[in-house]
Amino acid sequence: MAFQKKNTKKRFFQRRKVCRFCADSTLEINYKDAKALRPFITERGKIIPRRITGTCAKHQRKLAVAIKQARTIAFLPYVGKLS
Amino acid sequence: MRRYETIFIADPDLQEDARKNLFDKYKNLLVQEKGILIDFDDWGNRKLAYPIKKKARGHYVCMTYGGTGVLVTELERNFRLDDKVMKFMTVLLEKDVTASALEAEIAAAAQQEEAKEATAAAQPEEVKEAAPAATDEAADEVTEVAEADTPEETKAPETKTAEAAQEEN
Repeated sequence: MAFQKKNTKKRFFQRRKVCRFCADSTLEINYKDAKALRPFITERGKIIPRRITGTCAKHQRKLAVAIKQARTIAFLPYVGKLS
Repeated sequence: MRRYETIFIADPDLQEDARKNLFDKYKNLLVQEKGILIDFDDWGNRKLAYPIKKKARGHYVCMTYGGTGVLVTELERNFRLDDKVMKFMTVLLEKDVTASALEAEIAAAAQQEEAKEATAAAQPEEVKEAAPAATDEAADEVTEVAEADTPEETKAPETKTAEAAQEEN
């Protein structure tokens, strides 16, 4: 019984996430555009893993570099405050 | 020659002429070290994501230029000595550019600027109906000129290398 219940729960279908940058090739990853990078960091200022955002590996690498550059020049925080 | 981009944050509390002196100093330094200044973009006072030297705001300036590694080290050495500069970062945009290509780009940018000013000046004089058509034509000309002046090889790698730009520090 219990086993069956677990099984049905696992069947839960999750919508497949697509990489935002692959879907729209006009989007560019640039460290100067802090507004565009915002959705990819948490409130605390941490980079969100790609399993959550759905970004592909290629773009996640570029994104990570851009975020780190933006931090260096104070466009993005190293540590965000909890609001 | 390589194309670099340096962003530095100047002290926001500087007086207007002191700031101008500071900018001129670095512009001159660029020329001295045989660099080609492509763009000097003054972003003005901006809020910082975290305080630097106990200041919440900073005066951002973005310079794009062509030069060699020697120029970058010299520029950064001066930034470190200067306490009017709070922070700086240099990013490599393109690994291999020729001086002539950069100069062509500067000329194209200047031409574009000129045309823009011309249309802006012409607009208020004309009747409202005629104005949009005239500006459209002028805008088309501008883009055509810009494309003709910059060789395609410099345009294409620009976007590619911007993505692959490395962090200096």
